[in-house]
Amino acid sequence: MFDIIRIVVDFAAFYAIYLMLSVSLELEYGETGISNFGKAMFFAAGAFTAGALVIRLAGPIAGLIISESELKLRSVYYSTLVSRYFAAHPGVALAILFLMLILGALFGAVLGYLASYPAIRLREDYLGITLIAASELVRVIGRNYDPLIGGTLGTAVPDPFAWLMGRQREIVVSTFMMIIALTSFIVTASLSRSPFGRLLRAVRDSETAAEALGKDVVKVRMKSLMIGSAIAGAAGVLYAFYMGFVHADDFNPIKTFIVWVMVIIGGSGNIWGAAIGTFVYLLIDRGIALVKHQFTLPFDINYVSYAVLGTLLVAVLMFRPEGLLPEKPLSTIPRKILKMRVKAQK
Amino acid sequence: MLPVTVLIDSLLYGNLITLMAIGLTLTYLTLKIPNFAHGDLAMVGVYSAYTVAVFLNINPYTLLPIAFLMGGLSALGTYILVYRPLFRKGASIVVMMVASIAVDIVIRSILQIYADIMSSTFNVYSRGFLFKDFSLNIYEVRLPGVLVISSLTVLAIIVSLYLFLSKTRFGIAMRAAIENPWLASSLGINVELVYGISWFIAGGITGLAGVFLPFRIPTNPDLGWLMLLSVFAASILGGLESLFGAIAGGYVVGFSEILGIYVLSSPPFGISTAYRPAIPFTILIITLLLAPRGITSVEWNKIATRLRRNV
Repeated sequence: MFDIIRIVVDFAAFYAIYLMLSVSLELEYGETGISNFGKAMFFAAGAFTAGALVIRLAGPIAGLIISESELKLRSVYYSTLVSRYFAAHPGVALAILFLMLILGALFGAVLGYLASYPAIRLREDYLGITLIAASELVRVIGRNYDPLIGGTLGTAVPDPFAWLMGRQREIVVSTFMMIIALTSFIVTASLSRSPFGRLLRAVRDSETAAEALGKDVVKVRMKSLMIGSAIAGAAGVLYAFYMGFVHADDFNPIKTFIVWVMVIIGGSGNIWGAAIGTFVYLLIDRGIALVKHQFTLPFDINYVSYAVLGTLLVAVLMFRPEGLLPEKPLSTIPRKILKMRVKAQK
Repeated sequence: MLPVTVLIDSLLYGNLITLMAIGLTLTYLTLKIPNFAHGDLAMVGVYSAYTVAVFLNINPYTLLPIAFLMGGLSALGTYILVYRPLFRKGASIVVMMVASIAVDIVIRSILQIYADIMSSTFNVYSRGFLFKDFSLNIYEVRLPGVLVISSLTVLAIIVSLYLFLSKTRFGIAMRAAIENPWLASSLGINVELVYGISWFIAGGITGLAGVFLPFRIPTNPDLGWLMLLSVFAASILGGLESLFGAIAGGYVVGFSEILGIYVLSSPPFGISTAYRPAIPFTILIITLLLAPRGITSVEWNKIATRLRRNV
C-alpha cells in the first residue's frame, strides 16, 4: 500500500520548490503588477547553474579528471563518482550546495535585471508575450547547446546529501528544502509589509500617482523582478538537486502556467494566498499521481490532470477572481502608537 | 545559389503562418487580448480532418470545410464560454491572458486524450502522422500540391476578407464595432454578435491552416503551441491590429525561418538546425523592443530623410 512517510516527505519537497516559485510570482504580479509569463526561464536559470557547474566544480576537488568532450555522454557516471566523494566529505558537499544556491539566485537576479528592460517599457500583454518567447528561447538554447547541460540528453546532478542513508536522508533533504522555502516566504512577507511593499502596491495600482509622489517606478519594478527572479533561481537549484537530473524540456511554459494557477487560486495580492494556492494545487496534482497506478485507462491520466487544472483556473477567474484568500488592506501602524506619536508632537 | 526547394518550403511555411496570423489578429482586434489558445485551433482542424480522412478514407483536401467548421466552432465556444463572460466582468488584460493559457492547456489536453484513445482503441496512428500529397511539374520544377492549394487558399481568404470587410453591410458593422465598440453599439450594432462572428471566422481560417500542416510536418497535439510563437511574431511584426500587416509579417517570419536556418546551417556558419525556433523568438523580441507597434507603424520616410541628411 501507500508509504505514508514517503508521500509526506515527497510532498514537502515539492511544496518547498513551488512555494518559492509562487511567492516570487506573488511579489512580481500580486504586489507589483508585472505579468511575468517567463517564470520557467528564471527557474531554469537556477537549475541550469547547478546542472552545469556541480560536476565541473566538485569533480576536480574529488580528484576526478573531467573531460569536456565526454561530459555529455558520461554525466551520470561522473555524477555517481562525485556523489560517492560527497558521501565521505559532507562539509564539501554542503559548501557546494550553498555555493550553488547563491550562484543560482545570482544568475536568476541577473536574468531578472535583463528582463526588467522590457518590463519597464512594454504594456502587460506585450510583456507577457516577450517573456514567454524569451523563456522558450532559453529552453531551446538549453536543449541544443551541449556544453551547458548536455543538450537533449540532459545532465545528472550529484547528491549533496549522499552522506545520509535511506529514510533519514529523505527527511533531512525535505526539511532543508522547507527551511530555505520558509526563509524566502518570511523575507517576502516582511518585504510586502514594509514601506517597500506599500510602494510596490502603489506602483501596481497607479503608476502615475506613484510617479507624481516622486517615486522611481522604473527602479521599483526592476527591484521587484530581481528579487522574485533570485528566489526562482534558488528554487531551480533545489529542484535540480532534488531530481538529481536537469533536462531543458522540463522548463516549458506549462511550469510557468502552474505557478500562475497557484497564485490566482490562492489569491493574488495576499502572500498567504500563494501558500494556500500551492498547497491546493499540489494536493490535486500529487493526488492524481498517486491514484493513477490504481487503474488503467486508454489514455495518459496526466492530461486529465492538466485539463482539470485549466478548467478550475477558468472557474476561479470567473466566479472568485480574488482567489481563496483575498487581498487584505495594508497593515499600517497600529492606532495606539499613532495616537501616542500625535500626542508627542503636541 | 539557393535550391528551389528551400524557396518552396519558405513560401509554404509563409502561407501557413500567414493564415494563422490573420486569425490571431482578427481575435486580437475584438477583445484586445493575445489569445494563447490560438495554435490549438489549428490542431482541432487537423484532428477533425484527419479523423474523417482515416475513417472514410478520402483525400484531406476535400475536408477543408470540416476543418474550417470545427476550428470556427471551437473558437466561438471559447469566446462564449470564457472570454465573453470575463470581458463582461471587466477582467484585466493579464487575467484574460491567463484564462487563454488555461484554455490552451485544456484544449491541448483534450486533443492528447483524443489522440491516445484513437491509437489505443481504434489502432489509428495518431501522433507524428503525415498526409500523402500530389505534385505538379512545371518547367522541370516539381511543385508540391500543398503549396498550390495553400497559396490559392491564402489568396481566396485575403480577397474574400477584403470584400467582406469593405463591401458588405455586416463587414462594415464589424469594422465599426472593432474601431469603437461604444459608438457602434449606440448605433444599434450588436457588438457581441459581431465579435462572436469574428471569432468564428478567425478560428475557421486557423483550422484551415491546420489541415496543410501534416503534408510537411509530422503532426501531434503540441504542434499548434510550438507554432504559436512564430504566429505571434508574425502578428506583432504586422502591428497586431492590422490584417494586412499580419499577411506581411507572416511571409517575413516564414521566409526568415526557413531561408534563415538554411543560410545559418550552411558552411560559413554551420549552426545546428535545431536552433530554428530561436529565429521567430528573436524577431518577436527585437520587434517589441524597437518598434512595438509593428513595421507598419515605423515612419520610414523620417528615417530615410534623416539618413539622407547624414550622408
